[in-house]
Amino acid sequence: MGKQATEMLKGTLEGIVLAILSGRAAYGYEITAWLREQGFSDIAEGTIYALLVRIEQRGLVDVEKVPSEKGPPRKVYSLNAQGREHLEEFWRTWSFLAERLEKLREGGK
Amino acid sequence: MDTGSNEPKRRYRQYLEVVTGPLEDKKRWRQYKARVKQLPENYRTAVEALERYLMHFGPGDGADAASMFEDLADLFEQSAADGTPIREIFGEDPVEFVEAFVQNYAVGRYIRRERERFTSAIDRAAGEDTRKEDRSV
Repeated sequence: MGKQATEMLKGTLEGIVLAILSGRAAYGYEITAWLREQGFSDIAEGTIYALLVRIEQRGLVDVEKVPSEKGPPRKVYSLNAQGREHLEEFWRTWSFLAERLEKLREGGK
Repeated sequence: MDTGSNEPKRRYRQYLEVVTGPLEDKKRWRQYKARVKQLPENYRTAVEALERYLMHFGPGDGADAASMFEDLADLFEQSAADGTPIREIFGEDPVEFVEAFVQNYAVGRYIRRERERFTSAIDRAAGEDTRKEDRSV
């Protein structure tokens, strides 16, 4: 992943994680692993963790502690109603930005 | 209404905590330190480096700082159990991770409050005093 992609990703990471959680509940490590599979290779596990703590504090996700075979219980995150609202707003903002940028590109030709 | 027999003890503890800070926070801190001790060496080294860095943000609210360190212990215990390499936890820029992490707690919010104060001071200096949140200054 290039430096530019990493920089751009920063502002959208919260939306990306909410989008992942809208599909199914997941714990931190699963989210990072999935992102890596999708080619978002530079994302630090710690960064995702900090983001999960934040969206939990802001009440966008519900958290369930599930025992695991190895290590401490895992926190499993799922999107709640407030989170879904937030995600919709993210997609609206994304569409707006994408459309504006596309216009800019066409205008530059 | 103070009728209970534990009143003197409670009051004693209140006085004590004025001097020592809440005992509950101290207990949580000790528990955190004990958890860190159990980590594999390289994870422990990383947590201790983080701890040192976080101390520079100044003391947060006691209970909140305790939560912060507990969350750290959660992350590193889990990572050690999963075998997540240290580099993958921190990424290329460890400072970036720490900055994102600390914003979730009062310790980090203290820095943010100072930034806001600074920004509104510039607003005033620039003659654009639009906000009325300067009660505390």
